[in-house]
Amino acid sequence: MKTPRRFGSRPDRAKPAGMGRLTLLEAAMLLGGLLFLAPIAIIVLTALKPDSEIVHFGSILPRHATLANFGRVLATPEEFPIARWFANSVLVSGATSLLVVAVDALAAYGLARLNLPGKRWVFGLIVATLMVPGQILLTPVYLLLAWLGWLDTYQALIVPAGAGAFGVFMLHQFFLAIPRDIEEAAMIDGCSRLRIFLQIVLPLSRPALATLGIFTFVGSWNDFLGPLVFLDSAEKYTLPVGVAIFQSSYYTEYGLTLAAGVICTLPILLVFLAFQRHIIEGIAMSGLKD
Amino acid sequence: MTGRRRQDWLGYLFVAPYLLLFGAFLVGPLLYGLRLSLFRWEMLNATPPAFIGLGNYREAFSDPNFWKALWATLRMVVWITPCTVLLALFTALGLHSLRGRRQGLYRAAYFVPTMLTITVVGILWRWFYHPDLGLFNSCLQAWFGLKAPWFSDAAWATAAIVIMTVWWTMGGPMVILLAGLQGVPVQYAEAATLDGAGPLQRLWYVTLPILRPVLLFTVALNTIGAFQIFGQTYLVTRGGPEYATRTLVHLIYDTAFQNYRLGYAAALSWLMFLLIGAFAVMQFRMLRER
Repeated sequence: MKTPRRFGSRPDRAKPAGMGRLTLLEAAMLLGGLLFLAPIAIIVLTALKPDSEIVHFGSILPRHATLANFGRVLATPEEFPIARWFANSVLVSGATSLLVVAVDALAAYGLARLNLPGKRWVFGLIVATLMVPGQILLTPVYLLLAWLGWLDTYQALIVPAGAGAFGVFMLHQFFLAIPRDIEEAAMIDGCSRLRIFLQIVLPLSRPALATLGIFTFVGSWNDFLGPLVFLDSAEKYTLPVGVAIFQSSYYTEYGLTLAAGVICTLPILLVFLAFQRHIIEGIAMSGLKD
Repeated sequence: MTGRRRQDWLGYLFVAPYLLLFGAFLVGPLLYGLRLSLFRWEMLNATPPAFIGLGNYREAFSDPNFWKALWATLRMVVWITPCTVLLALFTALGLHSLRGRRQGLYRAAYFVPTMLTITVVGILWRWFYHPDLGLFNSCLQAWFGLKAPWFSDAAWATAAIVIMTVWWTMGGPMVILLAGLQGVPVQYAEAATLDGAGPLQRLWYVTLPILRPVLLFTVALNTIGAFQIFGQTYLVTRGGPEYATRTLVHLIYDTAFQNYRLGYAAALSWLMFLLIGAFAVMQFRMLRER
């Protein structure tokens, strides 16, 4: 080969040969992507069908689209207070995210930047618990919550979530990457550690904090086992458990349960569309930094 | 010097709120669960909790329900992890060869199912698999004149759980692997091309070896996740037929919150924890040593 190598670009000769394959490949990727989205589209389309069209399956598309199923889901607020469950989910997920971001940011900053005695051990212990499956804690946390008198309360879903190690680990790695000079300059100007943290480090870390907040929100919104075990009264349910109860009472009426599912999913899809890059890059980051 | 030391310790004020939650809701319950597993503690029974040493563990080893749940879980893990990671790898490779906006678009399409609540996923797939009204059997009936026993045959029920789990969870590993691929220096592949390597050889001898740590991470993460399957079997197959798809977490849930045998449930949790730990260590060894 006589042509000099150019870094960062493909050799020219490979290009024309690759083009044909690439479009075939893209067609395959497109097909696969549609296949992955199809079940979600089917939920929405089927929820828009009248019952007769669901029982006698004719086509994927509704022939007479109707919002009747959604109307009926929302029509029995005494038995199935879906608006209440929605509000509960917003409250629990919102409060959990705030708690996790606040507590984890403080801890991660301390562990990443301050000269704490024995902090390597503390951080090691925290990271080691990333391997602990959540279910192993279910019974003891249940007893602890019973002892605190917290069963069937919102804080039973919010406060224990603050113990998770993921956020501390993620923010710790992020804070390490912030140049020290900025903080040292502020320290010479007489700023306290707390002021440096609040006025310099936090604003610089907005993307990482947002990622952690969104992650926590989605995880809390989708949590099923926690509310199933820790809650008792129907008016405190979050959407996933509420909708599961709804399904077990109306399990033959797929139009209704699917409509309830759409109501449950829509907010999360909106969050996803709005923060897609944050979410996906956050996941990618969590897999690569170790 | 002493003033300095005191200031160092004062830094723990940053970490204190998190450590409080971490101790109360993670480390504490973890150890308390270990203690609990040594007691006979039955809430439906009038007898007070009593220390029985390893009695609960001995009971587990002679409990056919435990072995059945263990095999059900292992059957799922050996299907779910390879299927999910391979599909994620192929999808990531496909997406990696696309550029710019289109890559982001397809990536989002494959990722969306991961964002759904297990309840909605459960409603949807329970309907897909329904023996008479379900989408799959309607199509099989119309095209081939046969029906699949999705819920009544153990092998079909396991397949049902595996298929929906792969669909639901592939997005995470795919995103992580794609990020890993983007970290593989282009120069290596170029050099291999100049030496006359075809695309498959480049993949096998250049890309995959560099990707190995990320691949190892996804396999380990996915195995841990697959061991913890609960929502799918709880909502879709209800553990049936004849407990053939009741997983370990499902058994722990039934033991603790249907039969209220908390000590035995804690012992089962610790057995599962040890099993997951052993698997994770084994995988790290195997993949590292090659």
